[in-house]
Amino acid sequence: MCLKLQFAAKVFGKAVPAVFFLCLLAVCSIASALTADENATIAAYERVAPSVVNITTQMCEAEFFFCATPTITGSGSGVVLREDGLIITNSHVVSEAQNIWAILSDGRRLPARMTASDPNDDLAVIRVDPGDKPLKAIALGDSDGLKVGERVLAVGNPFGLGQTLTAGVVSMIDRSIKNDDTILRHLIQTDAPINPGNSGGALINLNGELVGLCTAILSPTGSSVRIGFALPVNRIKAAAPGLMQSWPRITGWVLAILLAVWLFNRIYGRRGGTPRYHWE
Amino acid sequence: MIDFELICGDGGPRMHFIRLLNLALVIFLLCGATGAAALTEEERNNIELYERLAPGVVNITSTLLEHDFFFNVIPRKGTGSGSIIDSQGYILTNNHVIGDGKLEVTLADGKKYVAKLVGSDPDTDLAVVKIDAPKESLRVIPMGDSSDLKVGQKAIAIGNPFGLGQTLTTGVVSSVGRTMRAENGTLVEDIIQTDASINPGNSGGPLIDSSGKLIGITTAIFSPTGASVGIGFAIPVNTAKRIVNDLIAKGYYSYPFLGATLMNLFPDIAEALRLPIKTGAMVIEASPGGPADKAGLRGGNKRAQIGNNIVTVGGDVIVSVNGIQVQDADSVIREVRKLRPGDKVQFQIVRWDGSSGIVTLILGEKPRGMRTRQP
Repeated sequence: MCLKLQFAAKVFGKAVPAVFFLCLLAVCSIASALTADENATIAAYERVAPSVVNITTQMCEAEFFFCATPTITGSGSGVVLREDGLIITNSHVVSEAQNIWAILSDGRRLPARMTASDPNDDLAVIRVDPGDKPLKAIALGDSDGLKVGERVLAVGNPFGLGQTLTAGVVSMIDRSIKNDDTILRHLIQTDAPINPGNSGGALINLNGELVGLCTAILSPTGSSVRIGFALPVNRIKAAAPGLMQSWPRITGWVLAILLAVWLFNRIYGRRGGTPRYHWE
Repeated sequence: MIDFELICGDGGPRMHFIRLLNLALVIFLLCGATGAAALTEEERNNIELYERLAPGVVNITSTLLEHDFFFNVIPRKGTGSGSIIDSQGYILTNNHVIGDGKLEVTLADGKKYVAKLVGSDPDTDLAVVKIDAPKESLRVIPMGDSSDLKVGQKAIAIGNPFGLGQTLTTGVVSSVGRTMRAENGTLVEDIIQTDASINPGNSGGPLIDSSGKLIGITTAIFSPTGASVGIGFAIPVNTAKRIVNDLIAKGYYSYPFLGATLMNLFPDIAEALRLPIKTGAMVIEASPGGPADKAGLRGGNKRAQIGNNIVTVGGDVIVSVNGIQVQDADSVIREVRKLRPGDKVQFQIVRWDGSSGIVTLILGEKPRGMRTRQP
């Protein structure tokens, strides 16, 4: 008995402080600090927050006398691809807009202009002039490695409320959806709440890398029922070089018209045997 | 084999100790292994929080007797949620949940109690009710701190959506620092936005962080449909902490009172009035005998048409409050709300003739409406 008591005392003397300490550590980590998952989410958000912009658009509507009156305003989101002010968004956000503004996360409101648009992929590129404070470009991830069940975060500007983070998982990959006249293929489906205004916003993984561009939702109500779709980032990577071309679209038209004139002359110019031009 | 003998042999207290240590290690590893295999840390955290805090969330039913067209008495019921904040039975909820009806509180174990309205504050949409329940059936939800919330951290809502009964929904903090207008038009600051599903009936329920502390009171949603679209708003707990003690002690929270009606001064109006400033808060009217009137703040005395608006002009324009520049009427109210009735406040003003001056006034107590403590 005496031995046992002594043993108990010894064991307690050594083990209890250790156990107590361990318990204390566990309790502390639960009580005061955030869980590992939360820390990862916070870090991912803080990494991409400066790279997601809110987009406000203004469309013109013809009034009774066909005078254009700037009335309808829309909102959307965009993702900074390059530090010099190149922003990617959905073409349905900006394609019909007359005036576009990008509101950065630091509060700056910059006028933007659309430089390229690809309605088949629902992608568009807008440019802003960041002045002497360059933007922060987002890190591009790899959307081919996405697995169903993986955590994703959506950062955007739902209903024009301002920058908002929503969380969910990848619900399915390789979805195809059909809108009125366009078919979007190989989309990522997610249950992170995506609402009107989230369009063109970032879908990121927990490393803070862009994996998709929030594009569409399936909903009987027009707002989120947790079925949202995002364009995979690998499509953006493939389409980006074409969209990022720096010469304006007018160049293409000028070339096309020159080509048409040249062809016209080739075909009809030699008819009748008379010289075409009289320089004298 | 040698180890086995060593451990199994009766080697005195030291051997006992080693044997015990091995046993503990095996049990610990087993626990860890089964825990890791069955549930993730995240899941365990959710379950632990729900089991610990669900008894602290109550359902509140407000029944109001109304007459229909033929003067038949019909009860109109509204449901909401609330959190127990005190072992004496004080429950924090939303003012819009309380309504004007008879209150009934259902605890998580199904027991029903008649509740008494202790105090309400329409300006922040908060209210406190009290039930007389035995202490052991009341689980208090501890209050946390909403000032250092981070976007991305977990937010858990427990409530009673659509009157279904206790429901746990999880999400993240979507943004912090939003401003929201309460039902009576006052601005509520530092609103927490979350994507945890919040639906009608969740109102008044707690928003909890991963350590089980109350960080907000779920109050409103943004939705075109009336049900959750992943955009919910909660009043921060720090706002609640500021007023709850007064609600319990007095039945109301006394706000400071200027006794003046303010209007935003926009640059075009300022230009039309040839004022030397661009923005500020213009005094439209100073109630006679009110704190502003007593201190010599002048209201408008003539009407002018500027553009399409008819504006009462001639009043002083407040440009700074206690040395802090203000741009509009809301920011004047925000600055004044940081003070208490009886405090002195210093306004820098620009008068109608363009001269500037300093007015010091002693804040009064905001007159309350008809609503007082129930008998």
